[in-house]
Amino acid sequence: MDAEERVQAAANFLLQSPPGEINDVLNDVRNIISDDDLLQDGILPALKEYNLVQFITVDVPGQKHQTIVSDAAKVPSLFEGEERFLDPRSKTSFAFDHIGLEASEPQAVEPDPEAEPFRVALEGAILTHLSSHYYDGVATVFAKPGTAQQFIIQLVANKYNPTNFWSGRWRSQYDIDLEEKSVTGKIQVNVHYYEQGNVQLATTHDVSFLLPTAVLESSSNSAASKIIALIGGEEDRYQQSLNSSYQEMGEKTFKGLRRALPLTRQKIDWDKVTGYKLGAELSSSKALFSNS
Amino acid sequence: MSDLVDSMLDLMRRLPPTRTEENVAALINICPDYADDLLGSVDQPLQLKTDRTTGREYLACDYNRDGESYRSPWSNEYDPPLDDGTVPTPKLRKLEIAANEAFDTYRELYYEGGVSSVYLWDLDEGGFAGVVLLKKIMTPASPNEPSGSWDSIHVFETSERGRQAHYKLTSTIMLHLVTRKSSEGEGDRPSNERKGIEGLKRDGEVSLSGSMTRQSEQDWPIHDGSSHITNTGRMIEEMEIKMRNLLQEVYFGKTRDIVYDLRSIDDLEKARRQKELQKELVGFIKR
Repeated sequence: MDAEERVQAAANFLLQSPPGEINDVLNDVRNIISDDDLLQDGILPALKEYNLVQFITVDVPGQKHQTIVSDAAKVPSLFEGEERFLDPRSKTSFAFDHIGLEASEPQAVEPDPEAEPFRVALEGAILTHLSSHYYDGVATVFAKPGTAQQFIIQLVANKYNPTNFWSGRWRSQYDIDLEEKSVTGKIQVNVHYYEQGNVQLATTHDVSFLLPTAVLESSSNSAASKIIALIGGEEDRYQQSLNSSYQEMGEKTFKGLRRALPLTRQKIDWDKVTGYKLGAELSSSKALFSNS
Repeated sequence: MSDLVDSMLDLMRRLPPTRTEENVAALINICPDYADDLLGSVDQPLQLKTDRTTGREYLACDYNRDGESYRSPWSNEYDPPLDDGTVPTPKLRKLEIAANEAFDTYRELYYEGGVSSVYLWDLDEGGFAGVVLLKKIMTPASPNEPSGSWDSIHVFETSERGRQAHYKLTSTIMLHLVTRKSSEGEGDRPSNERKGIEGLKRDGEVSLSGSMTRQSEQDWPIHDGSSHITNTGRMIEEMEIKMRNLLQEVYFGKTRDIVYDLRSIDDLEKARRQKELQKELVGFIKR
């Protein structure tokens, strides 16, 4: 396997990291590839991609809140190769270290005056939604550059509990288009449970709906909270539907794959299983059990 | 360099179980020298094969592989055919045939379908070892029905001590469950739950997948040749019952609890305010 293929394989492993375990995966990969010089340059794009896709959160310099580092947060850079991200809430852009996961070099950013009032209204409403329904989450609202009609809401909640061998991540994104009166959303949940095993829950949920005209005709604060209420309702419904998926898989699939006990509700009498000649001669399985 | 194998195993404990085969193949490409260590310690989904002689299905894994060929427990033949493929001694093969019959009955009683295979081999240091494999796949009748698969791999070693035998059992169960949901499939459900919402479209998938491993060591008396089958049968039955409960707890309890540790359907702010109010009230009464 040549160097490029090894880097590619390493990158592929990193992108599959469960929530909060990227450093553990990176340590394993370093040991397996055992060529830090090769990895140093080679895997940065993968770490970058992982951070953006997974909505990695970062402390905003000089602020008390966190923001989401994602594709939506990218700001057009002045120099080639320079990458900066935006925290719309504090109107700050910053450079981001994809390995150390820290922000630096904060700069003030002037928001689009046309989009900002509604963006702020959405931000207020989503932060209320966040504290009402998430134990520890971060939400960011971006205005799409060049238009005052399109907004992107991103939300992420993480819980890492390595002492008890589990971690979880909930991600939501909603693209709001006031012109098309539409909301397009995606919810993704990942859970990893790895005490003496490796069990993962991975869900995706795509949803889209049209905004009622009445919602958009109200004041921007009222319209924003109505939109967030619709989104919140959809999230609640999704979380409830997860319950029914669990129930369905437990009742139908799990039980259908393997019974808890044989039809007779008794464990097998192994002396009889080996004593009998099996197959056609055995007309009824009942013969295998004692006292039956 | 057990250190390297440890890193590979740690990695496999973290990466998505739905992609085990692809990731094992990638690791073997990176470190071909460790292929045997890896294949011997990472359990992969069992492959279904059909015995050319008997037409019966059997399960293929690392334990009945010789080169590129797999041995069927029914005909004892390799596919593709091998002239000098490893087979058990005649005495052990006799036990293997009986074990396959016994676990086939076990399979029918607990799985009501699926496929089972048992493979035995002699150990250099005396005694013998074996693997009991069970697999069942459920394919959905319609796109919105859940599907799933169950793979059991029970590897055991036994050594006789007079009229007693000591058994060491390592059991792995791989369980995959998938449910797909789309609004097209909800056609029979009136959509008036969300009044005034037009153009509502939903599409999603829930996948619960993984594996768990447990070990057990026990001593059992031996009366005759078939005692090994009754003894391992009891141990495996007990282990599967225990592990099925464990899987149920982790899959449907633990992972669901973690989702509810991230997000709450009930309004947390309301709950916080109520708590505050209660505190105030208690303080008021005490005064």
